[in-house]
Amino acid sequence: MGLLQLLSYFAILLFIVVVTAKMVKIARMPLHLRWDLYPIPHEKGRGSYGGSYFEEVDWWTKPMNFSLISEISAMAKEIILVQSVYHNNRSLWIFSFPFHFGMYCLIGFMVMLVAGAIFQATGVVIGSDSPNTLAVIIFHLTKIFGLVGWVLSIIGGIGLFFSRLFRAEMRNASVISDYTNLLLLLAVFISGLAAAFTVDSNYVALRGFVQSLITLKPAGVLPGAVTVQLWLWAALMIYFPYTHMTHLFGKYFTYHKVRWEDAPNIKGSKIEATVNKALGYKINWSAPHIKTGATWAEAATEETAKDE
Amino acid sequence: MSNKKTSLKDFSQKEGQLVNLDASKFLPLPPPYDKIEDLPTIKPLSESAQEKYECDLDGITAFKFPRPETDEEKKEMIEKFLSGLQKLFDREDNWTFMQPLFLTMEYCAKCQTCSAACPVYKESGGIDIYRPTYRSDILRRLYKKYVKGGGKFFSKISGNDIDVTWRMIARLMELSYRCTICRRCAQTCPIGADNGLVTRELRKIFSQEMGIAVEPLHKKGSVLQLQSGSSTGMTPAAYLDNIEFLEEEVEERVGMKFNWPMDKEGADILLIHNAGEFLAWPENPEAFAIILEKAGISYTLSSELVAYDGVNYGVWYDDVQFAKVALKHLAVAKKLGVKKIVLGECGHAHKALTVIADRVMPGELNVPRESSVTLLRDIIKEGRLNLDKSRNDEYHVTLHDPCNMVRLMGIVEPQREILRAVVNNFREMEPHGVHNYCCGGGSGFAITQDLNFPDWRHALSSRIKMRQILDTYQDIIGPEHKKYVCAPCSNCKGAIRDMFVAYNTFERCNMLYGGLVELIVNAMTDFDKEYIEWEWH
Repeated sequence: MGLLQLLSYFAILLFIVVVTAKMVKIARMPLHLRWDLYPIPHEKGRGSYGGSYFEEVDWWTKPMNFSLISEISAMAKEIILVQSVYHNNRSLWIFSFPFHFGMYCLIGFMVMLVAGAIFQATGVVIGSDSPNTLAVIIFHLTKIFGLVGWVLSIIGGIGLFFSRLFRAEMRNASVISDYTNLLLLLAVFISGLAAAFTVDSNYVALRGFVQSLITLKPAGVLPGAVTVQLWLWAALMIYFPYTHMTHLFGKYFTYHKVRWEDAPNIKGSKIEATVNKALGYKINWSAPHIKTGATWAEAATEETAKDE
Repeated sequence: MSNKKTSLKDFSQKEGQLVNLDASKFLPLPPPYDKIEDLPTIKPLSESAQEKYECDLDGITAFKFPRPETDEEKKEMIEKFLSGLQKLFDREDNWTFMQPLFLTMEYCAKCQTCSAACPVYKESGGIDIYRPTYRSDILRRLYKKYVKGGGKFFSKISGNDIDVTWRMIARLMELSYRCTICRRCAQTCPIGADNGLVTRELRKIFSQEMGIAVEPLHKKGSVLQLQSGSSTGMTPAAYLDNIEFLEEEVEERVGMKFNWPMDKEGADILLIHNAGEFLAWPENPEAFAIILEKAGISYTLSSELVAYDGVNYGVWYDDVQFAKVALKHLAVAKKLGVKKIVLGECGHAHKALTVIADRVMPGELNVPRESSVTLLRDIIKEGRLNLDKSRNDEYHVTLHDPCNMVRLMGIVEPQREILRAVVNNFREMEPHGVHNYCCGGGSGFAITQDLNFPDWRHALSSRIKMRQILDTYQDIIGPEHKKYVCAPCSNCKGAIRDMFVAYNTFERCNMLYGGLVELIVNAMTDFDKEYIEWEWH
């Protein structure tokens, strides 16, 4: 087994482990105080103008009208169309949208590559003249996702890089890693497009390599351009989990666990039990007005206790 | 020295004032305030104040923080700050906000979409230090360097390094008081990062660890409220005297006597006003007394310490002070045996007790809380008041949306339903509802009246509200039309009052501000006299 294969296994494993560990770490953080921000799309009948259940008298006695469709629709618009950038930063959206949409296509491309590799491993030929219809579809989808993905993400990535460089506000806020992140991504995308245009237009070599990873068999000799592309992919997968690029996953928490998190504390609820537990945590803040070493419950009821 | 770019190296190390505010660079206002010489100015601090207090950020001071003199003091300041920084990321010390803070530290992509949403940054003409990500970037670098494993090494190679100096800490302290925590920036962030939260978390390091807070919020705010009963300094005895006075005043005003139920056990509702109303705008609680009695609502006020003042300044700077006040409010409601607490016209009291307190209360103190706006809307909808909206016809009314009620709670329509029922000449500001702009007095700014901070507020943080109001009334801006800016929030009213004084708006534009209930009572046909007195007060 070659070095590139070993590196690829390592990169994939590291990516999965580190990203999962980070998400588990966030998920296990204590339940925070409510910090909802409106509009919240799942507020049925009210989400469109930013209203909430607080608009009802005795809201705690009424059913919570949760609109899953509105929430999914808002998510789809945000994820696919990068809606908030469209509405609030249109000149950046011109690049941000193709950049992100291109990468979604590349995720589709990878899924097609893996599917094609699995088919190939079972003896099905992937190609436009394959007798297997599904294999033909996979062949074409791989090419479409690949081409659209490479082109859009490169256009978007270059635009974002130069926006960061030339727009004063962005430049003032940027550090070296903000540029290197984009450069690494661009290197991966450009190398992918270059390999596809020069030596691997039907992704035969790339699919073969993925097949070798799946079947744990040695890969054949790869064209130079494909090798370069794979080294860059591995580097990206190793680097990615340590950067803000994991917002791909982190956005679940920022939206669903903070901004749109509006579950009230109802008597006897799980939230009540969690809050009671948190009130038992010790406070170590040391300003004079804080009862350092006491529990949150003791410190917060200090004044109430004095009056009783 | 350009204000468009301020390096973090300068922020940490440069001696003297970092940024000079130049009013000619601020965005111009519409007529009749389109001439710079007609606008309020930012007065420089006196020489003695400059000598005494740290003001090296932009020549303004909110904290009135005396500069450390000895090396020991400077060293201690740095140590305490770093110790507070660690606690922000500790799951017990900061269980209250650790998760959202961590997410903001990790995921900002620095796209600057938030910048255009920030009224202070935009109105200043783009002063770099007021950029919403500026203070967040400092905290992020500190977090990466001092909290994350291997931080010192990785900070250097990624270009995220930062020097912690006493100067940087002092400037950061003041910088945490140049953001109203309106959270418009967070609303536009594609990732869900929250620079408003960062402002509040920074204030927590100063207050909860270093014992440094802005005086009107802490010493004369939450501390005074817990000790004497109200942040106004009004004791229970003084409060009861005040109520007696209000009872007489309302009788004089409308020619009828109304009850002020006090400490009535078993009432349906405990009504809590912002105590500032009793002193500055008594017509507001008086209007509540009229409406609730006429509508036959069972309610009570409380004369217990803290419970007659709905403010909770902790919501802006300190979780522990916040919890102390919130639990006191809830404990009194529990003792009275009311079915629910209803909050008067005070935005931050709404959010504090209804939303945020939801997760600091032990189960036994879980008394339901709601807004008075929804109750008033239902009273009107059910036809329990005799209304004639033409009684408000001489006023051109616009609505200021308090951030805490709309963007942070989602109460958007009820106040509009009320206005549509009691006013014919209503016009919206743009943008409004959840996309509104802060009055400029948010997060404690309205009550910070020391030295030249109010000048800064009028010139910058309130500027966008001034712009919106002027734009709304541009076709009738002259003094021949009476214009009423309805602001159902004590804090917003305070900021708008001060802004109108600074811009001489009543004289120049015949523009007054007030609450929502005053317009309701003014539309009631039970009284011959007008309820709203069209004079500056």
